[in-house]
Amino acid sequence: MTRLGSGLLAGLKVTWRNLVRRSVTQHYPDVKPELPPRSRGVIALQEENCTVCMLCARECPAWCIHIDSHKEVTPAEVEGGRDRSHNMLDRFAIDFSLCMYCSICIEVCPFDALHWSPEFEYAEHDITDLVHEKDRLREWMWTVPPPPALDPAGEEPKEIKAAEIAAAKRAAPPPPVDPAGPQ
Amino acid sequence: MTDLAPGAAPAPVSLPDPTLGPGSTLAPKPVRFVLNWGRAYSLWVFNFGLACCAIEFIATSMARHDFIRLGVIPFAPGPRQADLMVVSGTVTDKMAPAIKRLYEQMPEPKYVISFGSCANSGGPYWDSYCVTKGVDQIIPVDVYVPGCPPRPEALLQGIVKLQEQIAGESLPQRYAQGSGQRDAASLRQPLIRPPEVTP
Repeated sequence: MTRLGSGLLAGLKVTWRNLVRRSVTQHYPDVKPELPPRSRGVIALQEENCTVCMLCARECPAWCIHIDSHKEVTPAEVEGGRDRSHNMLDRFAIDFSLCMYCSICIEVCPFDALHWSPEFEYAEHDITDLVHEKDRLREWMWTVPPPPALDPAGEEPKEIKAAEIAAAKRAAPPPPVDPAGPQ
Repeated sequence: MTDLAPGAAPAPVSLPDPTLGPGSTLAPKPVRFVLNWGRAYSLWVFNFGLACCAIEFIATSMARHDFIRLGVIPFAPGPRQADLMVVSGTVTDKMAPAIKRLYEQMPEPKYVISFGSCANSGGPYWDSYCVTKGVDQIIPVDVYVPGCPPRPEALLQGIVKLQEQIAGESLPQRYAQGSGQRDAASLRQPLIRPPEVTP
């Protein structure tokens, strides 16, 4: 048999605890949220890095990347040389009303032309404005944060190890050469 | 009302265009400002949650993000008491008539936020045979929030954007015929029905 009013006291205890505790509410429009690292807000395009290889457009599961390009031919620099052709990017558009934010385009990009930016404030009144053309995608590039530091407890990157071995090899004296030559 | 020939199907009822009365155009600017101010900051919201985006909507209504701060009240008992509908999730063709019916039950002035890629344009399912390619194909949408799913803050930003729109709008303009954004006649379309199957 519980004492009369013990439930009420337990309830008031919860009320008191929440009354004196600091509120957890984030004041979003006034205070910008602290987003976690690598947060996926919007895709930014480093237009200078794009070679129009079309890998992103082909890998996109939602088919939301539009790329148009044309070829320009640079004439040969020397007599009898070969003309070189380059892909020139005409249009690069991402339809953010279709995008599923899977990051596949960013992973397949071989030249680091696409990056995640944590910006998320681009709701629109008109759905056609959600198609960001290359100028707007380039503007997002200014909001891309630097890559997060490596995990201090993580394994050492194998590039560092390879560089150390190469440096040690260079610093070591060359192996003595047998004057008699190989037998 | 025209007389119907016996046996003929009844003609569709033609309702008069909704008006706000002759005084609405004469109402001074401060009145409109006060009305818009009241509308913008007491949006009773009705969540049409259809998929995972609804979880983000619920997260936005909870203590951490708490959109009651912005005057968005998530306690509407039903669409008849709501001002704002948030369609969050994949709209399927089977669900589309229900969305349209519930939208039509909402009292004017009513606003719609399309939340997430699926509601915006079908998202990753745009190629599916049964997914509506965006909720704007059946009801007019005021703000599109991109994301898959969007962050709770993205919904808050969409709400702020909607409130900015409400603060600047004039209802006679909004309901004027052919004003572009929302046609009053379009709201009286019949409910979506499945296509007639001819054997």
